[in-house]
Amino acid sequence: MNNSAKRSSLFTANGYRSLIMLGIALLLGGALAVPFYYETQTLWYKVGPDKILLRAGQLAGMLTLVLLMLQIIVAQRVSFIENLFGSAHLMRWHRINGVLVACTALIHVVLVLAPEGMNNLPIGKKYLPEMIGELLFLMILITVVSSHCRSLLRLDYATWRMVHRPLGYFALVLVFIHVFFVSESFTHILPRSLLIVIFAGLALFTGVIQRTRLGRSHWK
Amino acid sequence: MKKLYFFGISFLLFVVIGQNAYAAAREWELDQAHSNIYFSVGHIYSKIQGHFNEFSAKVSFDPANLKESHFFVKIKVDSIDTGISKRDKHLLSADFFESGKHPLITFESKTITDAGKGVYEVAGRLNIKGKEYDLTLPLTFAGVKDHPAVPGKQVAGFNGTITVDRIVLNVGDEKFYKMGLVGKDVEVLVTFEALAVK
Ligand code: HEM
Repeated sequence: MNNSAKRSSLFTANGYRSLIMLGIALLLGGALAVPFYYETQTLWYKVGPDKILLRAGQLAGMLTLVLLMLQIIVAQRVSFIENLFGSAHLMRWHRINGVLVACTALIHVVLVLAPEGMNNLPIGKKYLPEMIGELLFLMILITVVSSHCRSLLRLDYATWRMVHRPLGYFALVLVFIHVFFVSESFTHILPRSLLIVIFAGLALFTGVIQRTRLGRSHWK
Repeated sequence: MKKLYFFGISFLLFVVIGQNAYAAAREWELDQAHSNIYFSVGHIYSKIQGHFNEFSAKVSFDPANLKESHFFVKIKVDSIDTGISKRDKHLLSADFFESGKHPLITFESKTITDAGKGVYEVAGRLNIKGKEYDLTLPLTFAGVKDHPAVPGKQVAGFNGTITVDRIVLNVGDEKFYKMGLVGKDVEVLVTFEALAVK
């Protein structure tokens, strides 16, 4: 391979990597702008520290949403992405990001609930979207704990994987329902449409990967 | 003998009159499906209405025996319903009712007086957010009649409206009032039917 060809192929890999990073940055930036640009009425009626807590809680929710989506994308083990970033590197990222998702979800839950009071939790059929969030949070915790303490829990790989995969996909469905119905920001046409398009795209992407086995087998 | 006779008659009269005076007023069972506690409060220019879904009431009422008539109402604060669940959660927070600490509102009548034209002044103690207040609710007694749908039972109806100052009752401080968002005067409509065996 001559020097210019080497340079151009390196440039292509770097270019794709940069493009992906740019996409992630745009997604994250756009997501974090939602609670500011499409301010919820719940924020109108919060003043002082309560307003800061709620806003921070919404941001943590948006961050969790993006990290959860990335987690599912990385888990598909698409050859193209693995070739760009390296399989081991992506697996390490997947493990770290799992913990990060649990942490940001916990921060979201605490900060969103604190302004209304911890003895005033949204429980009951009237609060179905929030209850779906609670189920989602539980599922995230189970997924993360079972993955990081697999040997402690004496889970063999096959059993763990059998549980881990459906939990991951179910979490994606639940987060969509939670955000779609709980957040006033997503009643506005633009964020609502984008949410639908992104989730439909994600469902299609994972569906195609699973069916055609374009992706590699699961990490061991 | 005459003395004994007189003593016997007096004793009988005492027992009969005494019993009448202390006879409990007629007890009524609340018809939950046709009873409501509504409220309405100003928001900038509009009125927001809501109600409490869960409450109970012990009603002893006889217009001919107001002394023994009595009302005791218990409201579950977290059953508040304004049609928007997030607004309800906010109303239950420390900004307003603080239902985690104060889950019940109660009202117990102390005296009932006939104000004429079917209106009865029900004076009693309102317990809200752990503090008691004197409150007089003008209750219109709609009447008693055989229940059109329940044979063997009679139905009584009561309706009353009162305006209370939520800030005086400590249901929220002046924060949202001073911002011009949420009014301080809350109109409350108590409307209920109660049944009793004929
Ligand atoms: C664990 C996974 C969860 C994720 C990924 C998540 C994500 C989100 C997102 C993205 C929002 C929209 C923020 C906005 O409006 O800008 C949101 C809102 C909300 N979430 Fe969650 N959520 C989770 C769990 C929960 C749980 C367990 C609860 C507890 C009940 C909860 C309660 C809420 C509430 C009340 C809102 C609306 C906040 C408001 O508009 O004022 N969430 N969530």
